[in-house]
Amino acid sequence: MKANTMAPKPVSLERDLTSSGHFFSDLRTAVVKGDAFVKLSLLWWGAGYARRKQFFKAAVMTLLEAAVIWFTVAFAFQYVPKFGTLGTVQAEQIFNMETMKTEWNNYDDSFQILLFSVLSFVVWITAVAVMLKNMVNVYQLQRREELGLHINTFKEDVGTYLNEKFHITLLSLPVLGVVMFNVIPLLILILVAFTNYDQQHMPPTALFTWTGLTNFINLFGGGGLTLTFGYSFARVLVWTLVWAVFATFTTYFGGILLSLFLNNKRTKLPKLWRALFIVTIAVPQFVSLLLVRNFFADNGIFNGMLTSAATALGIIAEGTTLNFPWLTAPGWAHVTIVLINIWIGVPYQMLIATGVLTNLPVDQIESSRIDGANACQTFRYITMPYVLFVTGPALVTDFVKNINNFNVIYLLTQDVYTTTNQALANSQATEVDLLVTWLFRLTQDYYNYKMASVIGIAVFVICAVFTLVAFNFMLSGDKEGVYN
Amino acid sequence: MEKKPINTKQLVKDIFRHVFIVLMVAVWLVPIVWLVATSFSAYNGRDMTNFFPQEWSLIQYQKLFTPDTVANFPAWFMNTFKVACACCVVSTLFTLMVAYATSFCDFKSRKPLMNLAVILNLFPGVLSMIAVYFILKALGLTNTHLGLILVYSAASGLGYLIAKGFFDTVPRALCEAAKLDGASQARTFISVIIPLSKPIIVYTIISSFLVPWMDFVYAKMIMNSGISDMWTVSIGLYNMLDKALINQCH
Repeated sequence: MKANTMAPKPVSLERDLTSSGHFFSDLRTAVVKGDAFVKLSLLWWGAGYARRKQFFKAAVMTLLEAAVIWFTVAFAFQYVPKFGTLGTVQAEQIFNMETMKTEWNNYDDSFQILLFSVLSFVVWITAVAVMLKNMVNVYQLQRREELGLHINTFKEDVGTYLNEKFHITLLSLPVLGVVMFNVIPLLILILVAFTNYDQQHMPPTALFTWTGLTNFINLFGGGGLTLTFGYSFARVLVWTLVWAVFATFTTYFGGILLSLFLNNKRTKLPKLWRALFIVTIAVPQFVSLLLVRNFFADNGIFNGMLTSAATALGIIAEGTTLNFPWLTAPGWAHVTIVLINIWIGVPYQMLIATGVLTNLPVDQIESSRIDGANACQTFRYITMPYVLFVTGPALVTDFVKNINNFNVIYLLTQDVYTTTNQALANSQATEVDLLVTWLFRLTQDYYNYKMASVIGIAVFVICAVFTLVAFNFMLSGDKEGVYN
Repeated sequence: MEKKPINTKQLVKDIFRHVFIVLMVAVWLVPIVWLVATSFSAYNGRDMTNFFPQEWSLIQYQKLFTPDTVANFPAWFMNTFKVACACCVVSTLFTLMVAYATSFCDFKSRKPLMNLAVILNLFPGVLSMIAVYFILKALGLTNTHLGLILVYSAASGLGYLIAKGFFDTVPRALCEAAKLDGASQARTFISVIIPLSKPIIVYTIISSFLVPWMDFVYAKMIMNSGISDMWTVSIGLYNMLDKALINQCH
């Protein structure tokens, strides 16, 4: 840094060096104009650096290359050649004459082949990217040497990772984490949708293999007589969408109305009421959901309370009990779940709405009042458009979150709700399942990974389409620039 | 100021308003009150007929903190606490790093990376769960707390948007001033931006600390060996409830 500022900077030469900004045109120049060492650096990554006396960097690149080669030979070659078939050797127990014991043969594990092949592909793609980028960098070095410019020492190179290239330092670990625990799992599950990986084909004892689009055809109505996935998919999809609409809008408007109500000047002790509602947030969702599930159980406290009340009022005879199937019958369960979700969600939305409403355009409301607008009109024409403008994007993400609202549905209905619909039961779905809970049950209880993956892809498509459409309607440009 | 005459209509409206609020609060608090009341009950099972326990006692709390063969709450609590602390550190670091890189650093692949993050966020998390499990298994990390920590925090970089939104509002003049004074990007990040971002750091710390306490699906899947000493609080609680259901359903 110091040396740079002290020496007069040859500005024109530096400008001469600037790349075109397009990676591939840079690469082409490097291939065409690079000297022998630049070209050699495709094979030996350290070549160009060694030529320019950057020995440390040459050593680092060489080691990296060696690591990739070692990975390829020692690891990837065991799995990638079998990727086309996902394994052919069935697991068998054979009697070994030498040790006099029954042993497993050297069988193929289809899932392992799939997993490690995907891992190898990711590593190779990264390696190719590094190799090409490396070539561009090496050509830059050649140009610098030709123009007589300063070539960074190793220390200076490391320094750039805290300055101009700081984003690489910052992003490398998080991106590695995302690739390992998000991208690779997703790739694998997308691939599984094209295989027959299910309970009959469970590695390691059985193999699974590619089946093309069969699973998609089964899900969207085709398939044999025994398959009822098409029917179940339609039922579950409809309920998922109905649920998402109800869950999003009831809590959203409930929250806004509640916070308006509490914010009203005529309400005494607004802080106390607000605090009481927030108490329900303080209990972890998972505890409160299980709690409410017991509360509404067939022989739970809520039915007990109703029975006592009805007996006291003389509506039912002494000794009889009311057993409303709050969470156990179709229809009842749907309504109860939406109501419980209001109970869970409204306090959150109230908090958010309270925050938004503190910035309400007071002058506009005042002038509308003077113009003779009543409370309803003020709400309809001033408060709501403002709140919608501020929280619109959140509404879209809330909708997507509700499509994927695993917790509420799973914790309220798992082990409690059983379906009587034969067609749904055949495909392990229930009337109250969302696509995600169905997917979860298929993987956890029935090991039907192939159908679960197809459903997962369907969920993604629904969410992606909805988000794109909604954002195109609601947002224009990004607001980032306003603050920058 | 003139004194307003008492408006009876307004008064009635006000009374109704407050009665309504009290009713709403009651609806929201009844299950919570029931939860607290039941926890002080001396009765071991689930009481179906009485809202408040017949006999009050602290025995359940005493039982909770004395480990027995099936329920080891102190161990679960410590496990969750350890996982939560580690998770909190890793997640906060990752989130802030990604947020700073996408907000302050200017590099070519910034927009494509951000778009990719949006797409990745649209996939249901439940979908990748099974593959995550097999990856952990391949790494030999199932039934370990390290595996849980990785699952909760490794991909936390994707949740950078809120922190980025905060960073976007920090005046750019500050960074330019730091740059003119000769500070590197790393220096600016650590000495200028971090001290300015206490609210968002606190928010990130709290939200990442809470994840292990709330999550039960991943925990149940990864801690599948049935050794209850390794469990986190949420698996333990779920299992206790299951047991209660088995014992008491007639």
